[in-house]
Amino acid sequence: MAVRDSLKRYLHLGWPWSRGSGRSCRPISLIFSQFRAVLKANNHALELMADMGEKLSGEYLFDQRYVQTTVEELIRAMHEAVAALNLLTEERWTVLHGVLAGFEARLRAIVTGRDDREGPPLLWLAEIESHDWPLIGGKAAHLSELSQNPLARVPEGFVITTRTFHDLLDANGLRADFDRFERLMADTQAEAAVLEELRRSLEERVLAAAPPAGLLDALAGAVARLAAAATPLFLAVRSSAQEEDMDFSFAGQFRSVLQVVPEPAAIFHAYCQVAASLFGAKAVRYRRQVFPEGGPLSIAACCQRMIAARASGIIYTDDPMAPGARQMVVVGALGQGQAVVEGQLPTDFFRIAKGETLRLVDAAIARKEEALVVAGPGGGLKTAPVAAEEAEQPCLAEAKLLELAGIASHLETFFKRPQDIEWTMDEQGALHILQARPLLFHETDRERKPLSEKLAGYELLVADQGRVAQQGIGVGPVYLVETLADLKAFPDGAVLVGHRDSSHFVQVMHRAAAIVTEVGTPVSHMATLCRELNVPCLVGVPEIFAKVAPGEEITVDAEDRRIYRGRVVELLAYQAATTMNVHMAPEFRMLRRILRDVSRLHLVDPLMQNFRPEGCKTFHDILRFIHETAVLTLVDIGRDEACLPGGKLARPLDLPIPTGILVIDIGGGVAAEAPADRLSFADIRSVPFRAILSGMLFPEVWHRAAMAVGFRDMMHSILSAPQDAVSGQYTGRNIAIISDTYVNLCFRFGYHFNIVDAFCHEVERDNHIYFRFLGGATDIAKRSRRATLIATILEAFDFSVRTRGDLVIARTSNLVQSEMERTLDILGRLIGFTRQLDVQMTDDAAVERYAEAFLMGDYGLIAREGQGEERQ
Amino acid sequence: MSKTEKRLLVVDDEPIVGKRLQQVFSKIGFAIETYTEPAAALEAMAARPFDIVVTDLKMEGMDGLEVLRRVKAMNPAVRVIIITGYASPDTAELAQRQGVFEFLAKPFRLDELKQVIFRAMDELDAGN
Repeated sequence: MAVRDSLKRYLHLGWPWSRGSGRSCRPISLIFSQFRAVLKANNHALELMADMGEKLSGEYLFDQRYVQTTVEELIRAMHEAVAALNLLTEERWTVLHGVLAGFEARLRAIVTGRDDREGPPLLWLAEIESHDWPLIGGKAAHLSELSQNPLARVPEGFVITTRTFHDLLDANGLRADFDRFERLMADTQAEAAVLEELRRSLEERVLAAAPPAGLLDALAGAVARLAAAATPLFLAVRSSAQEEDMDFSFAGQFRSVLQVVPEPAAIFHAYCQVAASLFGAKAVRYRRQVFPEGGPLSIAACCQRMIAARASGIIYTDDPMAPGARQMVVVGALGQGQAVVEGQLPTDFFRIAKGETLRLVDAAIARKEEALVVAGPGGGLKTAPVAAEEAEQPCLAEAKLLELAGIASHLETFFKRPQDIEWTMDEQGALHILQARPLLFHETDRERKPLSEKLAGYELLVADQGRVAQQGIGVGPVYLVETLADLKAFPDGAVLVGHRDSSHFVQVMHRAAAIVTEVGTPVSHMATLCRELNVPCLVGVPEIFAKVAPGEEITVDAEDRRIYRGRVVELLAYQAATTMNVHMAPEFRMLRRILRDVSRLHLVDPLMQNFRPEGCKTFHDILRFIHETAVLTLVDIGRDEACLPGGKLARPLDLPIPTGILVIDIGGGVAAEAPADRLSFADIRSVPFRAILSGMLFPEVWHRAAMAVGFRDMMHSILSAPQDAVSGQYTGRNIAIISDTYVNLCFRFGYHFNIVDAFCHEVERDNHIYFRFLGGATDIAKRSRRATLIATILEAFDFSVRTRGDLVIARTSNLVQSEMERTLDILGRLIGFTRQLDVQMTDDAAVERYAEAFLMGDYGLIAREGQGEERQ
Repeated sequence: MSKTEKRLLVVDDEPIVGKRLQQVFSKIGFAIETYTEPAAALEAMAARPFDIVVTDLKMEGMDGLEVLRRVKAMNPAVRVIIITGYASPDTAELAQRQGVFEFLAKPFRLDELKQVIFRAMDELDAGN
């Protein structure tokens, strides 16, 4: 029981890092100002992180310079926070400087675009996570997303990462020339002949390169793993350059080598051809023409099992000739798909209507006399004649076509854009997805101009209302979500319309066309999730429930903040024709990478074992550590009576209920005219503390009757809890550290241990609540039930909750002030309501009963049931 | 919004700026041209008339104040909006004196720029 051990340590021995004896006593005013300096530095860093997160919505215009300067500002703020903590703790945590330095280097690598150089040489496709993306190029990134989608069957394989590419350059003495090549590419005035010569030389030398140390062994291991799954094994080695399939398709600009025999030397040879194509004449011309400002590129290669193909081809989920017309286009041929992509052989053409059910509306079957097939055991492909009776048959039967269209339609919803998908069907008739990339259209000026006129014909339900949480355009039938239970029946491709933001919507986000809420903020957890999953989202749209009917189709334009009744074909066509998917722009990707390294929170609680400087994985972790350590330091100093002349630091709070709270005011939390020795509720000026107290004082919340503690429960509590916990009264450790906008309430009522840390003022994105609950007097089953009860209630109020046994950790943030006060009031009620409840948690049904009672405002249930138990 | 189509010229050395504005303003019916090099933008300005110019402040070769000066010299009626991550009061004042329409600090919400541009159009339509 590591958690309980930590608790005991906390209660009995103080923190492992608590002040040693013999330290000097500092003036209280100095300690307070040092503590406030920690909070201020922490909040500044968190603010910068929130600021960057907000930029990802697409509602802002920002550039590389913004990213660079904000990262530098954030690094400075982090140093300030670490320095402030060390001042407060008298240099106990200098080790944090070292932790920070490591993160700093990584962030700078991202900002300077050098984060493609560190990482494993190979990565298994199905195991790739988003933080690996800088290493695998655009195409492999799409494939890794695809391979995690249950509906898409993707051939298994691995990626030779960009780190290997850099190793190859270094191992073969090509670094200096590569750098020179990139400089020339960036220079629009560079002399063509000089560039051409360098390009050709790099291409030749990469083709003839020797493998970096260890690569052949790594390839042998990967091949063995693939061969273990199924033989015969051949590989397709495809390019995956950094920008490929992102803003620009680079379609056909780089090499792919198919039907490669599964031997390390052969794979390396194929890989060199792929890598060398980065310097190919075609690719260099494309980059200079289409992508002149693109910056340095490195290249990865995707190595996948070849499918023995009966038929292959392409499906577009929208018709490039008539965007938005709700038709898919399929092209296919017999055998391998290379022939289709390169237009070598005649192909079948099909058109499928979307709509409620998919329907084949048009087919033009070609006479397919030849097919691209496997050449033989030595690898390679060849063109071979097709049997006469097969040549005039469609390459896919109608049922298969519709199955393919179903998968494609799902992927379009998943990626939130029309897709260009390469498919293949094996000898057994199973469909495999080889690639999916955004389908790009080019609209002529003539078509583009009158968009606003075309839109005039549609009924506007909402104009210029709400805030954009995530940009984009989404169309689908309305699905109203009144309670979270409604999410269970959420239909694919619908528009989710809800009263309030909820992070629970994440369950259906990959299937939602868009999200609209009546109340909400673009910096909520839900908004963050929408940005991660690229779901168009408008929040704070008044009375949208009254304006739409369930099932009717609406078009949400979360760019211009408009909602139309019906399907606005022109907007969809517009979206499909925009060559740029803003969220894939380099600046957005860089910012996302930075936020991933900065703002995730792994280190949630000091009672968890990783709560150490070395356990910090992100800036947010460090800030969390700093905050918690600062609070504990202050509490610790507050206990050290040698340093506290005559109770000036902490004043007891008199309430109509016996809470035994001592208040430490670090600035503005208490009325100036309040007495020096005692405080009453009326003296409290701290906004978050007042809100919690209001909840605790709410009628019936604080059930006064002592619970009927059974003999076993009592014995258990005496044996397992610290002695002074049993009284349930003030034990000298119920402390509220408050300021006008802050509270850290650290206390024990009865048998359990509870912390609330909250910051609350008018700027919503600074606001947060952190809640922790642990322990109880009864056995672990009852205690865990109470923990479940608390977690259930907190989830209903949209906290993000983690539980472990009888430990509950809940967080929420970015709420507007009124919402914060309401939530803190609820927390106050919850604290009172569940104070001694574990005794009554005799069965699992109790969890539901009490949760229901609490949510319905029936706080008297505990007292009623408690008396009932006493009578029995 | 105005009835006649307005012509918008954007110059910013970071390509994302032009791309985003292209997307946003072409959608609402503007004719928009974007450049990453001030010299090329001025050539376009000399060749074709524009109603509104949006320019970055700090660019290699020529800064936004210079763009403002030259554009105003070509056509005093043009409304020029300067967008910048480094707005010092001094530059802002200098720009004011040279007739900048609005100074906007990057990053900004696209909606803010839209409102500024709509105001500029109202002025143009009113014949100021």
